[in-house]
Amino acid sequence: MIEWLHPGLVFIFGALLIPVLKGKWKKTYLLLLPIVALIDLLFISEGVFWRIPFLEYELIFGRVDRLSLVFAYVFVIAAFCMTLYALHVKEDGQHVAAFLYVGSTLGVVFAGDLFTLYLFWEIMAWSSLFLIWYRKTKASSEAGFRYIMVHLFGGICLLAGIILYVQNTGSTAFNVFDWGLGGGYLASYFILVGFLINAAVPPLHAWLSDAYPEATVTGAVFLTAFTTKSAIYVLIRGFPGVELLIWLGAVMAIYGVIFAVLATDARRLLAYSIISQGGYMVAGVGIGIWMAINGSIAHALSCVLYMALLFMGAGAVLEMTGRSKFAELGGLYRYMPITFGLYMIGAFSISGFPLFSGFVSKTMVIGSTALVHQPIVWLLLEGAAIGTFLVAGLKLPYLTWFAKKEPVVEAKEPPKNMLAAMGITAFLCVFIGVYPQALYRVLPNPVDYAPYTAGHLVGMSQLLLFTFVGFWLLRRKLHGERTITLDTDWFYRIAGKRFIWFCEKPLLNFADSIDKTLLGIADSFVWFSKNPTVASRIMVLSAFSVVARPFNPGYMRYERDLEELRRLYPEEMQRLAIGTGVLLVLMFFSLYLLIYLTYGVLWT
Amino acid sequence: MEMKIGQKHLFGILYVCLAVSIVAGLLLHSHEQAHAAFVWQEIPVFSAIYGFIGCILIIVVSKALGHHWLQKEEDYYEKH
Repeated sequence: MIEWLHPGLVFIFGALLIPVLKGKWKKTYLLLLPIVALIDLLFISEGVFWRIPFLEYELIFGRVDRLSLVFAYVFVIAAFCMTLYALHVKEDGQHVAAFLYVGSTLGVVFAGDLFTLYLFWEIMAWSSLFLIWYRKTKASSEAGFRYIMVHLFGGICLLAGIILYVQNTGSTAFNVFDWGLGGGYLASYFILVGFLINAAVPPLHAWLSDAYPEATVTGAVFLTAFTTKSAIYVLIRGFPGVELLIWLGAVMAIYGVIFAVLATDARRLLAYSIISQGGYMVAGVGIGIWMAINGSIAHALSCVLYMALLFMGAGAVLEMTGRSKFAELGGLYRYMPITFGLYMIGAFSISGFPLFSGFVSKTMVIGSTALVHQPIVWLLLEGAAIGTFLVAGLKLPYLTWFAKKEPVVEAKEPPKNMLAAMGITAFLCVFIGVYPQALYRVLPNPVDYAPYTAGHLVGMSQLLLFTFVGFWLLRRKLHGERTITLDTDWFYRIAGKRFIWFCEKPLLNFADSIDKTLLGIADSFVWFSKNPTVASRIMVLSAFSVVARPFNPGYMRYERDLEELRRLYPEEMQRLAIGTGVLLVLMFFSLYLLIYLTYGVLWT
Repeated sequence: MEMKIGQKHLFGILYVCLAVSIVAGLLLHSHEQAHAAFVWQEIPVFSAIYGFIGCILIIVVSKALGHHWLQKEEDYYEKH
């Protein structure tokens, strides 16, 4: 057994050297890091490593088992493809943010206790934020701000849950959480909300469709994989077989599709597809039987690859034309046929065409719903499969590369590194589809599932082919409109604005008036204490003048005195003779003595 | 012009695929009855029907939702 190197730390500490290197060296270094991490992973033996005492607890940085390994493999492989895609980017900051993001995700995957999980969870949120902000547009800075606010909220939920959990059980172990109804499970509820936010489960999903389309071209490709899929990983660890998740997942799959149909921006459409695909995985975790969990993992892994490929394709169009809105796209096939072809491999994979990766994983989850007799979930997930092909496989490529007779703008194929990255990712998608055993063999539970049966093949082919017929008949309805679609981010964008207005206007006015009243009282005390004798005369006189006004025609006299007094105030203080002072003190003391002596005798 | 011919070929292939998938579905259906997990899987070529109707439903329902409720002008958030 080798005392191994944490692959996440390879990325995190490796990122620090990026700004030092130049030119070819930097590019080589960027590509080398994921390869080093992969080699490191291949040599890791299973077990628990890297325990660090922390207060009275223990931080476990390395829980290595089949479940964490399989996620780590695909994350590192995807990181290589994505880095290749981003190799032409000049800004070091983008590379550093991406590597910190990948590294912290690996940290989450190998975290064996809740404190370590939380630590990497937060690094993940912050580093990914910069992949959005580096776009440097107004929209991206605002969307990024909303993104980090939602993730901070999620982080706080997670932390609250962890603290409650540690208090209840005295342990920081990250294993399956207790689940049930009632106040006793509060810790689990908080932790689950934290996880569900990162998994983008509606109604907690809007950060994804809001921020991902505003990220940089290459940043968005990184974003597709890590946050949502690591959330699936922690759900599998913490909440397998929680029935609520079945329904959340099934609704999520359809929800994403409906909003993708309405999307008017290519990358927003794909962002909603991520949500929809996540639905299969969440539902699989909820079903909880071996086949479903295997299906969730397999689907997460193939989703990492094809989603990256789809975002690379849409990103390439954005990079070369500066456009991502459907209303401004069309007819690009003449200039970008290779990009189109590679994109379509991703599209066939996400749609679950036989021989592509989605087919061997999606059918596993759908098949498991039959084993637990959930007909409605089956119909919803199968319906989402139709919708997925409709939006990512038909609507997006049709409106981008065809739809118009003449290309809307001149363009050319993207740089070689981007094409190469897309090529490798596409190869992996097809490889998994053609040779699913490669995927099944690394799954944590033994797989007893054959994707390529006649029934599956014919059923899937019919489903997808007739989806195409429906699309072709109604394709005019799908043309890009100049609109945006409201989603649950409305609640914090509009209601949030109203709340801030409420704080700034009515609430501040109220606070102001209280402030003024209190200050007025204090002021009058100050005024009074400057010369109490004269001040009290002024007060008595003004009271008289008000009372006397209706009765005594000579009240003017009071007024005149009052004015005179006010003008001279505070005047010269009248000094008391020392004797008077002493007398007052003595009187005070004797009063005190009297009370002291009689206390307990006359009164208790 | 070139596109037109290409499109014709593609649609020819599509029709063949549609026909093959239907025939294969019917053949399969007459052979294995025992596998049906849900009632609707007893219906021949259910997947084809579901694919077609599902696709139309998704488009129509989404667009109805969008036009009557969810879709707003692009500067909605700046204005409100």
